[in-house]
Amino acid sequence: MLLQIDNLSTQLRTGDEDVAAVDGISFHIERGETFCLVGESGSGKSVSALSVIQLLPKDITTHPSGRILFDYRHPDGSREQVDMLSLPEERKRQIRGSRIAMIFQEPMTSLNPVFTIGEQIIEAVQLHDPQLSYPAARTKAIAALEQVMIANAAERIDEYPHRLSGGQRQRVMIAMAMACEPDLLIADEPTTALDVTVQAEILRLMKELQARRGTSILFITHDFGVVAQMAHRVGVMRQGKIVESGRLADVLHNPQHAYTRQLLAALPENLKRQREAALAGQAQPPAPAEAESMVDLRGLQVYFPIKKGVLQRTVDYVKAVDGIDLQIPKGQILALVGESGCGKSTLGRAILRLTEPTAGQIQFAGRNITHLPRTRLRALRRQMQIVFQDPMSSLNPRLTVAATLTEPMKVHGIGASKEERLALAAQVLESVQLKADHLWRYPHEFSGGQRQRIGIARALALNPSFIICDEITSALDVSVQAEVLQLLLALRREHDLTLLFITHNISVVEYLSDEVAVMYAGKIVERGPTAQVCARPSHPYTQKLLAAVPRVPL
Amino acid sequence: MSEGGAVNTVPVTPKARAQRGYLSQAVREAFVDWGTRLGALWIGVLIFIAVFAPFLANSHPLLLSEAGQVRSPLLEYLSAADVTLLVAFFSALALLWVPGTVRSKLLAWLAILALGGLLSWLLISPPKLSIYEQYRERQASGQYDWVITAPIPYSAKDYLRDYGAAGLEAPLASEERRHWLGTDENGADVLSRMIHATRIALGIGLVATGIAMLIGTIIGGLMGYFSGVVDMIGMRLVEIFEAIPVLFLLLTFVAFFGRNLYIMMVIIGITSWTGYARYVRAEFLKLRQQEFVQAAVACGLPLHSILFRHMLPNGMAPVLVAVSFSVASAILAEATLSFLGLGLVDDPSWGQMLNQAVQAATFNWWMAAFPGGAIFLTVFAYNLIGESMRDAIDPYLKKSSR
Repeated sequence: MLLQIDNLSTQLRTGDEDVAAVDGISFHIERGETFCLVGESGSGKSVSALSVIQLLPKDITTHPSGRILFDYRHPDGSREQVDMLSLPEERKRQIRGSRIAMIFQEPMTSLNPVFTIGEQIIEAVQLHDPQLSYPAARTKAIAALEQVMIANAAERIDEYPHRLSGGQRQRVMIAMAMACEPDLLIADEPTTALDVTVQAEILRLMKELQARRGTSILFITHDFGVVAQMAHRVGVMRQGKIVESGRLADVLHNPQHAYTRQLLAALPENLKRQREAALAGQAQPPAPAEAESMVDLRGLQVYFPIKKGVLQRTVDYVKAVDGIDLQIPKGQILALVGESGCGKSTLGRAILRLTEPTAGQIQFAGRNITHLPRTRLRALRRQMQIVFQDPMSSLNPRLTVAATLTEPMKVHGIGASKEERLALAAQVLESVQLKADHLWRYPHEFSGGQRQRIGIARALALNPSFIICDEITSALDVSVQAEVLQLLLALRREHDLTLLFITHNISVVEYLSDEVAVMYAGKIVERGPTAQVCARPSHPYTQKLLAAVPRVPL
Repeated sequence: MSEGGAVNTVPVTPKARAQRGYLSQAVREAFVDWGTRLGALWIGVLIFIAVFAPFLANSHPLLLSEAGQVRSPLLEYLSAADVTLLVAFFSALALLWVPGTVRSKLLAWLAILALGGLLSWLLISPPKLSIYEQYRERQASGQYDWVITAPIPYSAKDYLRDYGAAGLEAPLASEERRHWLGTDENGADVLSRMIHATRIALGIGLVATGIAMLIGTIIGGLMGYFSGVVDMIGMRLVEIFEAIPVLFLLLTFVAFFGRNLYIMMVIIGITSWTGYARYVRAEFLKLRQQEFVQAAVACGLPLHSILFRHMLPNGMAPVLVAVSFSVASAILAEATLSFLGLGLVDDPSWGQMLNQAVQAATFNWWMAAFPGGAIFLTVFAYNLIGESMRDAIDPYLKKSSR
């Protein structure tokens, strides 16, 4: 047994009180095994990981109880079981990096931008093996980079982090962590910030390295798909406690705790199955006839100029949206799927003319709005709305919910008096399952899921016929995501809405949308009814994308 | 983050918390610091002194009885500016007690101020000539039954001609006339001049900064929101203004238009807006991409609402921090000018008093120490307030300090 944690509690001091972030958890990790801690945000999974490697800020952290027993391998090969909590700082530092290594979630900020990646790996290597000469350490670093499949490692070792993509940086982080051949690798949401195809590669890489080196992995994630791919055993965390742990198959197929069942039921895959089961008895709704299109895009292009030199001459363009023809039929949910940087959000904004299109035509409800002057466009904005991804930044922090909801109404002449508008706003809030007295609160008083509902309420307040949902669930926990998705389906039925649902999450697409369009490098590569595209993708990119999606075997 | 915040805050009722905006939250946090409280206390004392200067130091007696008739030369000689300041002060105090929103109170205060100012300039005309010696002479010759004077019975421009050329008397040097901080080279009481100089110090700081903030916010906001060509032209304008040495410009203007306090305020104002423009521009560039601003555009809100309701309040925090530093630097600029002998001729100012200290043949410590100390304390107080405001609005600094 490599790591054994007994009844560990971690308290963090905030202000004047101690908050139990981790509350008496116990688990163990065998050699060569992957243990996944899964849970929603704030459940204490990251604090557990940081407690193991003892990286929490010392002045605010206390461990009222528990032991973290680590099977320490001395450099001469002898073994000793040590308790990380009672070791002196000097010993902890020897263990960190050489025996326990860690990779973090955000590859963009976990490498130091002023050093080359080589310098950073070599420093780590030499710290843990001071006898190693510089050339030897460099050779070792190159080997480490080669192991994580960085092409041309001998040349790229002298690159600075900004020259690498997110996926490559995460590989460099893994190379750095693995360079000292640790016994335990702690991976804290290592693929959350990455695209699914890159995520698939990183996960495969970690599994390969684990098989070759026999490293144990403590894997922190919120994504059951990833858990299903990586874990041997799983612990489900909630409010600082492990509510259930066991072998992967047992937890997935035979969950014992109510919370685990609830989490699994909230997965979009399961939502879809539930809905199909519910609909099985009834007659299928008639397939939508060839409806007229709400939005009709012809050859839409959005180019961002790259300017250089003193005269700011345009040398090239970033072709964010590169000639798109797309019809969104009335009353349908069209999902726009693609990886980060493919231009899907830009397309969404261009349809609403929040970003000006470079060329092409946008027809909205049969009307060409491509060159409509701003003042005339303003009146039309009532018909088309957008809900944004980040619930933290999409509401004005200085305005009450009432002000946020009623100001657009006033501008568009909805409601005769202030009282009437407030009554309408209260109605809209209730329709997104919030309370009317929430009107008088400020955004910071709400949770992420509630804010996202307020964002939806703001869009609904104008009673639009078309709403763009730009990644609205990607910042939310899975159970909250389920609620928002169900809410969206209900609202669409009530208000006869047309939705453009922009997302990177294939399982959400499968649950929600009628049709799907797959976007890649500014172009739409495939489009069709959701079931058809997901079952029989025809374009190679779609095939690759669908294959990379981590699925939960159900 | 939000969870941490919820734990941090002292339990308040939701209603009270809802009424408290972001800014008042920041001010509240800033004032936890003792330095800020002392700084604010000093500014408060200065404001009090500035408003009541004629009552604190004046050669005109507050009340006197001459041949059975009671009259108040002090009130007779009150100028329109004195009355306007008093009106502003007392109406502000009164409005603090009246319930109402901050905005309506501010509007009411400005209205009262405008009306009071207008009326007092129209109606009040104190005698042009003031002969300070007459009271002392008449009192000495026993013409008055009794006299109540101000705590410091000397005006700022009372050069004590009746005592002959006293000039440069150390603090508390003579028994018969009590000068707490001595006299200057013309024989005027230093404490009295310092008291009357607080008006210039505070006024120049506030007016110059107000002008700078207004220009900077408007230009910076337009640059940030429209970016592109507007931004490019705006930034060139900023660079041009930053290239102008303020002191040199002030010297030129003094040479052309003579020594005028108001021109000085305006010049210091219109040359120091560039910092604000940069701050506001950066904030607006950032805010423009924020989703709530995009949402406001998508809702079809008019431009003025987007700029002033959705963007400006969220971008003002760094500006408000800069204000307190810039008030301090405006005070220093005026002090520098007066020190160079280009300030006001006869009116008291701290810098001008320092200038006297240097120019005199002997070193007169009281001429340097007291005005210098006042400038130092005032600038220091504004800087203290600025520092802790900056800490209060900066979430990163806050985290690391805990």
